[in-house]
Amino acid sequence: MGGRRGSRQHPRLVNCRTIQRQNHARELVKEADLSQWDALVIMSGDGLLYEVINGLLDRPDWEEAVRTPLGILPGGSGNALAASIHHYSGAPPVFSEELLLSCGFLLCQRLVTRMDLVSVHLSSSPRLFSFLSLAWGFVADVDIESEKYRHAGAARFTIGTLVRLASLRVYRGTLSYLPVAEEEEDNPPLHHQAPPSRDPPCQNSFHNSCHSNNSLKVRKAESTPSRSTTKAPSGPLDSLLLPLDQPLPVDWVVVPEEDFVLVLAMYQSNLAEDLLASPDSTPDDGFIQLFYVTGGISRAALLKLFLAMEKGLHLASSCQHLVHAKVRALRLEPSSPKGVITVDGEVVEYGPLQAEVHRGLARLITG
Amino acid sequence: MGTTASQLGKDMLSEYQELTFLTKQEILLAHKRFTELLTKDEKDLPNNRVPMERILTLPELKSNPFRKRICNVFSTSEYKDGGLTFEDFLDLLSAFSDSATLEIKSHYAFRIFDFDDDGTLDCGDLEKLVNCLTGETDDTRLTPEEMRQLINNILEESDIDKDGTVNLSEFQHVISRSPDFVSSFKIVL
Repeated sequence: MGGRRGSRQHPRLVNCRTIQRQNHARELVKEADLSQWDALVIMSGDGLLYEVINGLLDRPDWEEAVRTPLGILPGGSGNALAASIHHYSGAPPVFSEELLLSCGFLLCQRLVTRMDLVSVHLSSSPRLFSFLSLAWGFVADVDIESEKYRHAGAARFTIGTLVRLASLRVYRGTLSYLPVAEEEEDNPPLHHQAPPSRDPPCQNSFHNSCHSNNSLKVRKAESTPSRSTTKAPSGPLDSLLLPLDQPLPVDWVVVPEEDFVLVLAMYQSNLAEDLLASPDSTPDDGFIQLFYVTGGISRAALLKLFLAMEKGLHLASSCQHLVHAKVRALRLEPSSPKGVITVDGEVVEYGPLQAEVHRGLARLITG
Repeated sequence: MGTTASQLGKDMLSEYQELTFLTKQEILLAHKRFTELLTKDEKDLPNNRVPMERILTLPELKSNPFRKRICNVFSTSEYKDGGLTFEDFLDLLSAFSDSATLEIKSHYAFRIFDFDDDGTLDCGDLEKLVNCLTGETDDTRLTPEEMRQLINNILEESDIDKDGTVNLSEFQHVISRSPDFVSSFKIVL
């Protein structure tokens, strides 16, 4: 999992750890002596990298720890980041073994770029960090199904998806976001500390009374110890977010529609090996690309949208129900009693959430 | 055995309960709704077969994209015209009920999607399946390229023996892992 420091020309792969269970990687990374290693390479799916990133940010020395270069070799069922890295290299899309080969080559070039991370606040879970996507609605549901029966490189669409299209439903809720100001587009601010004049920025969880009815297995966030005065919270401050019970600042946009088919926030290019959901994303652009589809879309139009998304052409479609915005933060408050929210493709607690992007917080080996 | 429209005997009710996944209340309600579809003259005749056009006026079927195939699959009519007797109707409701098993539902789903009734789902069947979902007017149907892309995706995912078609076991294999399938495949009066 790491290359020992020493001669940069000859990194030696010394320590290889096999992960045995959920949260194992997170624990390892939290306790590891990072000064010994040049990089951490994950050979698995996006889920393992998620644990590593959250482990790094849970350390007291998080600010330096999160600068450890991270590499990924696709080996799991979710290979969206690997596919994104391959996409950034400019090569045409490849899958399964070819993707693995491509990522291997890119890894050997050892070029490191900064990577945006998005901090995500849920109702009652501790804050977590995301590197890929947030999803609610049709897309989140499809994530879960596909993980169960897809074999490496297979497409997302199955007869099951079509059956679900037959009983297409809407999800009710409120969506708001902080749009990227035009003058900021080319020069988004780098990750920085909060200005002192603002209200206390939120860093940990809020209280909320929304009930969750779904019985799907939810990723258990590592439980935080009771908040004593001696433990300093780790990780960057979220200067753009206010607690959920406070009204939004005036520069936020509130989406007028309340019926959604899907809401998708992306910060890498690929949602899956074969879904180029955000072709313009780069790892360190400092934006969240927010997509949402409002209720009322016909089955045909939604089907066409997904087909176009495989090739990254959905933005060129004239679908009136698809809206796209570049944002820096967002707040989602679902009101449907049942639903699924995924972060980086994994199910999390269903309920209100807020997210803010931290530009260039982590380091990614992209070749 | 037949049933006249005017009454549903206790014996028949018990028998139907045993033969289907439906509860007593569901069977009685089905009987009521079926009878409403009959004309005054038809009501006194035993073993009525209601033509498909009239079955399709039921609100629970009217907007179902596969309504015609559903009638055809459950119809025992020798003319293959999709007309349903009361017992056909009960079989239909039973397969789509809350209590029907995944195996029953997936079996019937397969038959419904098998438009040419040849026992496998080939490209022709899949194309018709998609067209049922999208509608067949020019502005809603998929382009030939989109259709090809979609069918390739489906076969890639479901056609395990790579013979270009999806047979019943491949279909059931794929469907069984779809958590939403059972709740999508439901018609309740």
